[in-house]
Amino acid sequence: MELLFNLTLNGLATGMLIFLLAAGLTLIFGLMDVLNFAHGGLFAWGAYSGIWIYTTTGSFLFGIIGAILTGFSLGIITEKWIIKPVYGNHVQQILITLGLMLVLSEMLKVIWGPNQLTANPPEYLRGSWEIGDMIIIKYRVFIIVVGLLVFAGVQFLLKNTKIGLVVRAGVMNKEMVQALGINIKKVFMFVFMIGSGMAALGGVLFGPYSGVIHAGMGMEFAILAFIVVVIGGMGNFTGSVMAAILVGLSGSFMAYYVPELSLAVNMLLMAVVLIVKPQGLFGGKG
Amino acid sequence: MKWVVNNRMNAFYLIIAAFLLLLPFVYESRNMLILLTQIFVFAILAMSYDLLLGFTGIVSFGHAMFFGIGAYSIGIFMKRFEPTMLHFIYAVLATILITAIVSFIVGLLTLRLKSHFYAMLTMALAGLFLVLAEKWRTLTFGNDGFTFRVPEIFIDRTNFYIICLVSMIAIFMILKRFTNSPLGRVLQAIRENEQRTESLGYQVLHYKIAASVVSGVLAGIAGIFYAMSLRYVNTSVFTMDITLDALLMTIIGGVGTLVGAIIGAGLIEFAHDGLTELAKEHWIFERWIIFFGIIYILVVIFFPLGIVGTLRKFTWKRRKLESAKKKENLAG
Repeated sequence: MELLFNLTLNGLATGMLIFLLAAGLTLIFGLMDVLNFAHGGLFAWGAYSGIWIYTTTGSFLFGIIGAILTGFSLGIITEKWIIKPVYGNHVQQILITLGLMLVLSEMLKVIWGPNQLTANPPEYLRGSWEIGDMIIIKYRVFIIVVGLLVFAGVQFLLKNTKIGLVVRAGVMNKEMVQALGINIKKVFMFVFMIGSGMAALGGVLFGPYSGVIHAGMGMEFAILAFIVVVIGGMGNFTGSVMAAILVGLSGSFMAYYVPELSLAVNMLLMAVVLIVKPQGLFGGKG
Repeated sequence: MKWVVNNRMNAFYLIIAAFLLLLPFVYESRNMLILLTQIFVFAILAMSYDLLLGFTGIVSFGHAMFFGIGAYSIGIFMKRFEPTMLHFIYAVLATILITAIVSFIVGLLTLRLKSHFYAMLTMALAGLFLVLAEKWRTLTFGNDGFTFRVPEIFIDRTNFYIICLVSMIAIFMILKRFTNSPLGRVLQAIRENEQRTESLGYQVLHYKIAASVVSGVLAGIAGIFYAMSLRYVNTSVFTMDITLDALLMTIIGGVGTLVGAIIGAGLIEFAHDGLTELAKEHWIFERWIIFFGIIYILVVIFFPLGIVGTLRKFTWKRRKLESAKKKENLAG
């Protein structure tokens, strides 16, 4: 019972981190028809810059804010200089964002050195609560709470605000939104910025969760995020949170019961979904 | 006119090939020999990638999968059995068989998908092979890899150099023939406009699968040579880096031109070698991937035809101008 609870909590926390990465990916894909292969790089950049600010200032909150701002600015740069020249050309998009991914993860090594950095949760998030024989690690709960807050926030933004309306309409039909006199390019930029900020937030939260961060983590998580996006349905925001939790839980349970299969199971899941239902389990843009 | 140009090009290739063949007998530098061998091996890989990216317009992120199968086949055969010519041939046959089957199945499953999905799925499948190589320790020795001995004939560096060179030239000619065949023409039509090709009555999927099988088998052969040149194999042959190298070589040299793939392979390997040397002078050169990444982005944006493609465009333009002038003269 205790074990099950712990595995579930762990899976949920990982799922939330993947969700933060995948949500941006799926929104950007849904709206702009761009699959950003460099998204994992933003995750890693969020982690490095956030943890760096956190260790130098000693404030985790500053670290989080710093990471989000890094994500925002990198997102704007990416959209403006890298993605804009290749709109509409899928092959070039794939190639160029992959190139950016290379540059981003190598730049990390230039700035912060090739070795991995260590990170600990701040004082008030360290340790755990004990209820009966159950041990609840505080930091995991924190990640889950933050993840849910972000989910609720973005959901509110999408469903209840005018900009959300425009974004949703844009996902449905770009040309129509443009024809109605809305500057879709600004909306693109905005969504890209939000998506990158979420990825960076995921990165900085991941730091104290795993204890160490390294430059290769962007790619690792990006693959998980791709899997989530495919399972949840490309361009489907709610689908991405469901799929992220599914992938997080299956990863955590598999890592305990069948460790050999823990990485493969997600890929197999994605392969099956792509072959059987390419539009994703929860629907979305095919 | 076209034939004259082609003959001139063929003569040019012939001279280069002869030069490369004679090189080890006149210029004795072990490092240069090893570097050139490496270039030939990667040129085979890049050409096989170009068949997909350049001629069919498919972006595969799983090319390392086939490369790795080749590398592990030879490694396992040479380690498990005596390193004789017979077992070498078995390893080659095994590679061809496995890569053909894998690329056929993967192609059948995935080539129906749009480019994004295809790229992701191939990436995931290649990841699967990486995991397999890491976990199947009894066969692959996991992450550490293993060394093995190679048959007598391949031990001498000069011999190996010539074998790689000849293989590269042979594969170049085969691919040249293949891309100029009716089948190759259909592949190029698919690259230009898939819907239109389909509506002309071609089974696009079949052609794409054919391209991916040929490309997969050739990548496997490149993997064999790669592992033999190192006499060592580990899981790095399955990583994304291999696919990226092939991608980079193809793009820089010029997509859709087989010579471009060779030139790209040469440039990247030379640059890699040079930058590794420079790393002793300044640490920034240790991070040479950054330079490659930046060049790569710039190439995709500003220089999408690559070196050979751009050169060709210019010669075509010039020829057009010349023929226009001739017409003018005739009219005048």
